[in-house]
Amino acid sequence: MQTITMGAVGASSSQWLPSIAMATEEAKKQGRHCVLLWMSGGPSQIDTFDMKPGHKNGGSIKEASTSVAGVRFSEHLPKLAKQADQLAILRGMSTKEGDHERGTVLMKTGHIPGGPVRYPSIGSSLSKSLQQQEEAELPSYVSIAPGVFARNSISPGFLGPKHAAMSVASTGQPSDNDFTQLRVDFLNRMVDEKRHTKRLDLWHQMQNDFMKSHGTENVVTQNTVYQSAIRMLGSDAKSAFDLTQESDTVREAYGRGTFGQGCLMARRLIERGVPLVEVTLGDGLGWDTHQDNFNQVQRLSEQLDSGWSTLMTELQDRGLLEKTTILWAGEFGRTPVINQNGGRDHFPQVFTCVLAGGGIAGGQVYGKTSEDGTEIEEGKVNQQDLLSTLSQALGVNPATENIAEGGRPIAIAEGEVISQVLA
Amino acid sequence: MFGFARRSLLIIISLSVLSLTRADDTSSPSLAARTIDRLIDQRLESENVSAATRSSDAEFCRRVWFDIAGVAPSIAELRSFLEDTDPNKREQLVDRLLVSPQYANHMASRWNKILLPSDAQTEQGQQANVAALHRWLQSQFRDNVPYDYFVGGFLTAGGAGNAGPAIFYTSHSLEPEKLAAATSRIFMGIQLQCAQCHDHPFDRWTQEDFWQYAAFFSQLTQTDAQGGRDAMIEDRVGSEVMLPDTEQVMAPSYPGVDEPPEADPADIRRRQLTIWMASRDNPYFARAAVNRAWAHLFGRGLVDPVDAMDADNEPSHPELLDFLAKHFTKQRFNLRNLYATIARTEAYNRTSSVSQENAPADELFAAMLVKTLSAEQYYDSLQQNVFRRSSPSTSDRMSSDSATRQQFLNRMRSTGTTSREYPHGVVQALGMMNGPTVASATSPERLGLLAMLEAPMFDQSDRIETLYLATLSRFPREEEIARCAELFSGANTLPKQRESMSDLLWVLLNTAECAVCP
Repeated sequence: MQTITMGAVGASSSQWLPSIAMATEEAKKQGRHCVLLWMSGGPSQIDTFDMKPGHKNGGSIKEASTSVAGVRFSEHLPKLAKQADQLAILRGMSTKEGDHERGTVLMKTGHIPGGPVRYPSIGSSLSKSLQQQEEAELPSYVSIAPGVFARNSISPGFLGPKHAAMSVASTGQPSDNDFTQLRVDFLNRMVDEKRHTKRLDLWHQMQNDFMKSHGTENVVTQNTVYQSAIRMLGSDAKSAFDLTQESDTVREAYGRGTFGQGCLMARRLIERGVPLVEVTLGDGLGWDTHQDNFNQVQRLSEQLDSGWSTLMTELQDRGLLEKTTILWAGEFGRTPVINQNGGRDHFPQVFTCVLAGGGIAGGQVYGKTSEDGTEIEEGKVNQQDLLSTLSQALGVNPATENIAEGGRPIAIAEGEVISQVLA
Repeated sequence: MFGFARRSLLIIISLSVLSLTRADDTSSPSLAARTIDRLIDQRLESENVSAATRSSDAEFCRRVWFDIAGVAPSIAELRSFLEDTDPNKREQLVDRLLVSPQYANHMASRWNKILLPSDAQTEQGQQANVAALHRWLQSQFRDNVPYDYFVGGFLTAGGAGNAGPAIFYTSHSLEPEKLAAATSRIFMGIQLQCAQCHDHPFDRWTQEDFWQYAAFFSQLTQTDAQGGRDAMIEDRVGSEVMLPDTEQVMAPSYPGVDEPPEADPADIRRRQLTIWMASRDNPYFARAAVNRAWAHLFGRGLVDPVDAMDADNEPSHPELLDFLAKHFTKQRFNLRNLYATIARTEAYNRTSSVSQENAPADELFAAMLVKTLSAEQYYDSLQQNVFRRSSPSTSDRMSSDSATRQQFLNRMRSTGTTSREYPHGVVQALGMMNGPTVASATSPERLGLLAMLEAPMFDQSDRIETLYLATLSRFPREEEIARCAELFSGANTLPKQRESMSDLLWVLLNTAECAVCP
């Protein structure tokens, strides 16, 4: 699929075409990265980043101060609290989807599912814009332990399989004292190198012959996808997936679970130039805390705190944080009112997302909710605004268009960029 | 416009009379094929594009086996087709495959994917219900039930004794809006659901049209026959749908028809819908059906995408689409006849091999488009020609063969893509190259093709030739034989020869050529 920019469609707007093209080029040159921290199940905003102390909706988790005066998080996010100067908290998120699957698709593609257009996930469209070179050794979009609704929500849609996420599976924790194993299937060739080379030589010849007389999109794509897989098989870069190369101290700092180890893998992938990494927290729908909300949120927050904060620290140590924009989001938030099971239910009307790192003006809260948390008083934003802002923060113009089925040009996102949170 | 029920009753009576009389000349697939070719050629002439040459016998044989039987020809079938000197052998093969059990199975697989959302097809708990739908579909295609009866039956089924299609309703959560979107898309090729929230931007459908159509599915409830499994569907009179954000009850109405629907004696709305849906009075019905069959064989619909036959999406050949729809209606919605007709056209017989400098536009049908094989087509061909075992039937879910097949299908499953796309990413490519399926296919220790080829009666060129026939349905070309000879050079011992054969088979199975229908 080809990319065109907005200006190429209507001649009237062509005067600003160069600036968009330049912005995208600039992002590539800078080697920008994006990390999506996906909270599967819908995290509770009131027990994390939008505390309501003193109100009965506030619940049992206490608030704690952060490195930024006036900005307060939950007591279970102490390490992130120290990095609050990197974070922009968006407290006015609001959508209309309270169903897990539809909400997941909505947040990740910007669109409700079911229409005739197969919208790509934001990971696919951003990684397409950010990828430095066509023939990289590693895929440009890696999704670690993708959630239960991954199939539709991280699909490359009309961008095609070249822009699909490569998923990394979690095999769970073998025992309490061990680290969760993250696995990429079939990353080792079946025969010794000599035979493998022989096979590939013949394969290349056959592919080239066939493509001379059969140049249709499916044939060309098959070849492209195989070439990426072959490059990765033969590269040292694939060691990015081998976390045993890290010391136990480092692994420990990230946390032993899937999310912590996933954040560590994200750092290793970013070091090797992968533009987009997604890490999911909440096996299945972990954040779906209809019951026993407070204990569950505490446990999840601890994992979140270690993984996310260590990732930022390590990226900063390597000079990579300023090039990496991080989005923390789930499919929706949770009801301010606590139900009779000590849980909170689905609440897409008001929730919180967080942006951090490169391109983001950290240390601020954008948007304000009412005292009881049921209404947005200032700074209401929707999923399109969020995705547009993320895109802009990465130096990718959100109006960049890709061509969908039937020749329709579709922008990466069409919301309003929240310029206040951009650096 | 009144009296749908009575009129369709008349049609049913007249149909049963007609079906006893000998089919007239226009029913001849060859005659209709000529009309189709004339309309295709007209456009080629006006665009000054010349058609590609006729496909080779081997190419045609692979194509028609994949398209109609859903599997590559076996080596024996292929050889005997190539040796056959009958000038009508192509038509004969088409007709023979259309009455084969593989046709019914392949069509059932295709329709399973058309009807069910992707997650329902592989969800563990749903396997029994998916298989039930498969069996139901299979019997429809085996008996060549006329397409209008098939759809009518489908839209009123789901109850006791006819529970196969129930999963269609449960996998759409029995929600009127989801069922309305799916049925209008599948059986009429229109995207009515775009009007779910607001009036359709590209078409004439209004939000009311959508919800009035959805009202036909307002009465469905699920009865749990055996603790959740083998779900059945019941119509309960009395439930209604309302226009969103209003208290306005929507009365059912056929899309684009002003008159209210004919009353059903028991007020069963699905039956009310079927009277119109699967009839000549529904202008979308036959067009959507022939467009889908055309896309099946050519990789592209006359309207493309097939599910978006909206007013602003013009057919590539309007006259041809009209002709096919009328012809299909006149042939009493006979699917086999439709496929036999399209497969007889010169257009379908053209080669897909064209030099890339002057590849004609897809929509001209000047050359065949290569179609990506479904995971089922690929696996079943491997099973037949390489593992040399009979394909596990879809209903037999207990055998280990069936479990292995299912693992492959799960790994390679794709959603919502057409045969003109390649749906797999790096993970699947790694799985193909290094995964268990190709590993066991290329392992000489296993029984199957490689073990068979070790027999002393085969020499090296027989072996190479057989591997090509089994995987690509064609003989190797001169330069390929030379390359293979290079691969085999120095392989003097049995283990070395095994290695080389395994290497060649691995290469063939991973080529783009092996992944497509030519």
